[in-house]
Amino acid sequence: MTDFEALLSTLDRNRVEYIVVGGAAALAHGSARFTQDLDVVYSRSLENLDRLVAALRELKPYLRGAPPGLPFVWSRETLSHGLNFTLDTSLGPIDLLGEIPGGGTYADLIPSSVELRIFAGATKCLSLEQLIRAKRAAGRPKDMEALAELEALREEASNG
Amino acid sequence: MNDAEGAYRDPVVEAYKKGIDRTLLRANLKLTVAERFRRAMAHARFADELRRAGRELRSQQK
Repeated sequence: MTDFEALLSTLDRNRVEYIVVGGAAALAHGSARFTQDLDVVYSRSLENLDRLVAALRELKPYLRGAPPGLPFVWSRETLSHGLNFTLDTSLGPIDLLGEIPGGGTYADLIPSSVELRIFAGATKCLSLEQLIRAKRAAGRPKDMEALAELEALREEASNG
Repeated sequence: MNDAEGAYRDPVVEAYKKGIDRTLLRANLKLTVAERFRRAMAHARFADELRRAGRELRSQQK
């Protein structure tokens, strides 16, 4: 189970630059769908990679689904040589995304993010409009139902 | 999102919308964001407990 509160607090405490996307962002906007992990788009600046490494180090990050014993080193070098990382941590699964289809990188997504006041902190989250755009761009059959719910949420919100 | 994008209605998505329980969405929209996350965590704990109980039942049936 993902401890959303503790994970977000850990990222914020370490001043990591990230935007909540995916199922957790949908949850923030009112989705009733079950989500088991935290997906974030993170800034790829070297300073932010260092902050991310420091934030998650204590949570024993490891590649999700990989056999135990792989020589996985949690470091700035590892992050800089990859883009997207699906990790298990002691607080639950987290997906670190360098970019997303239909949205781009952290810098691209900043203008279409909103700030959530949550768990005594301020967390950036993809706006409902951008979330819909990203789901449409992904175009996967499994996203159709989620997309329908997001559009329904937009209709409900506009109906007041 | 521009007007054309916003107005576009995908027939597949529209078909899925008919199956959505909007009462759940309306209830969620009345909660704060933190309450939504805390409720999700409670659901996840319940799901974990159901999985554990299912495993226990299957092991008893062997």
